[in-house]
Amino acid sequence: MLLSIENLYVKYGNIEALHGISFHVNEGEIVTLIGANGAGKSTTLNSIMRLPPPEAPRVISGDIKFRGQSILNVEPHDVVAKLNLALAPEGRRIFGNLTVMENLTLATYARKNDPDTEIKRDLDRIFDLFPRLAERKTQRSESLSGGEQQMLAVGRAIMTKCDMLLLDEPSMGLAPLLMYEMFRTLKQINQEDGLTIVVVEQNAKVALSLAHRGYVLDTGEIVASGAADELANDPEVKKAYLGG
Amino acid sequence: METLLQGFLQYIINSLQWGSFYALIAVGYTLVYGVLLLINFAHGDIFMVGAYIAFFISSMLITYLGGMAGGWTLVALAVPLTMLLTACVGVTLERVAYRPLRRKGAHRLYVVITALMCGLILENGNLALLGASRKKFPEMVDTIVLSIGGASITNLKLLVIFAAVAVFLFLHWIVTKTKLGMAMRAVSFDKFAVPLMGIPLNTVIVFTFILGSGFAGLAGLLFAMSYPILEPYMGALIGWKAFIAAVVGGIGDIRGAFIGGFLLAFIEIGVASVLPSSFRDLFAFSILLVILWIKPTGLFGVAKTTKI
Ligand SMILES: Nc1ncnc2c1ncn2[C@@H]1O[C@H](COP(=O)(O)OP(=O)(O)OP(=O)(O)O)[C@@H](O)[C@H]1O
Ligand SMILES: [Mg+2]
Repeated sequence: MLLSIENLYVKYGNIEALHGISFHVNEGEIVTLIGANGAGKSTTLNSIMRLPPPEAPRVISGDIKFRGQSILNVEPHDVVAKLNLALAPEGRRIFGNLTVMENLTLATYARKNDPDTEIKRDLDRIFDLFPRLAERKTQRSESLSGGEQQMLAVGRAIMTKCDMLLLDEPSMGLAPLLMYEMFRTLKQINQEDGLTIVVVEQNAKVALSLAHRGYVLDTGEIVASGAADELANDPEVKKAYLGG
Repeated sequence: METLLQGFLQYIINSLQWGSFYALIAVGYTLVYGVLLLINFAHGDIFMVGAYIAFFISSMLITYLGGMAGGWTLVALAVPLTMLLTACVGVTLERVAYRPLRRKGAHRLYVVITALMCGLILENGNLALLGASRKKFPEMVDTIVLSIGGASITNLKLLVIFAAVAVFLFLHWIVTKTKLGMAMRAVSFDKFAVPLMGIPLNTVIVFTFILGSGFAGLAGLLFAMSYPILEPYMGALIGWKAFIAAVVGGIGDIRGAFIGGFLLAFIEIGVASVLPSSFRDLFAFSILLVILWIKPTGLFGVAKTTKI
């Protein structure tokens, strides 16, 4: 088990956002979290990354374990630099005053021991995946279109060289064709490199077609879980999240 | 005709020299503001401490190496040593005063008040330790007066102007070519996304204080070499002026700090050359007020987003 969330309660101020959720992610898996707006999906991902408030809430009880060790006391930058988790956050959060290339370069900050050739190879892979970014390397990233910014946010997370990639609505703002292409590429990276992926999606159908397993969140609780194809055929899930 | 041109040239030279002092100090305000949104009101006093550090280092260098090494060798040693030690003072301030407040999530107002207090502590600490008597800065190099088109420029003035240009180019290189420099710009845009890149926020903040205080130390050394009388309150007025220069240039923007610094010097010395010197600051600051009135965010400032 790579990641396990154990009976996690978290609060924003006095408001409880997660009421004791438990789930796990195995090495090499693609797992999706689906659920309505406000269900607690982003809260879950931000808690795993140990982001400080106000981005992430306080953990009241329960535990987050990565490779069997509790990570509740790990600093957020170490979650990335030492544990090799990465998050493409909700709302993209790219550095608009930096160029596309600078955004991607910054993501390699903690890879001090990696040879330049390896970083170059990873960059090329991002640019292969998103040729639109390659054409805009020197452009200030705030002037990118919404979809291009989303590509940069995903590319940037991959550039940290993670063992586990968390994606918060990666398809947001992408044209459908590009979304399918990105998911195909993610699947490919997953199969070739064994990259573990947790993906939060509004589009539950696409998410379940990409993932091996899924969890359904509803107002801070997990209400259903199982293999992706089973979830996709579950009548309850179908009714609530897949439009009948 | 001849004298008019001479006067004009002299005006430019003097303004460039004072603009360089202002710019070297202003950039420290701007860097810290860009990263922390904190106006580090202790910065003028860090400049003062820098001048005193330069005093002790130079005196020591002259005592121990004066016989063997030439004056410029001593200066070349004094520059990095002064910058390093002044940077330590800035980083210490960050550690003991600002970081604890930040960790507790204190409102910006309290941090600014803390900065003001730190400035007073540095001034009065100096007073308590070294007494009220002024210090005479030792002469490391002989002043050479050069003449350009009838106007005079000393080797020291040239050094000051050269230092400001070099610092500007160096900073430009830092923020565009190094990852830590890029991280400084990233922090100013979205502080919370920076740890997601595996970058410790505190490292970026400490680096910022190293740069800002280091340049204040450099300014302190150069200022003391040019005007060799040191006293504990020497950083107060020049600190305020540099802060205003940074704001007029657009606080948070490195170019703004330099443009603002030079602008202030040109206005100040320009006013003083046509009006009695008691009018100097009144007019200079009135003009700056008008600039802010027209463009409240400063010349290079943008309403939000881009800092540094
Ligand atoms: N910073 C915050 N302060 C207070 N409450 C918050 C904060 N962030 C989220 N919440 C609350 O926590 C709950 C879960 O929010 P979260 O962002 O995790 O939902 P989500 O599942 O990601 O929704 P969406 O699909 O809309 O992104 C919501 O009720 C939300 O109002
Ligand atoms: Mg969300």
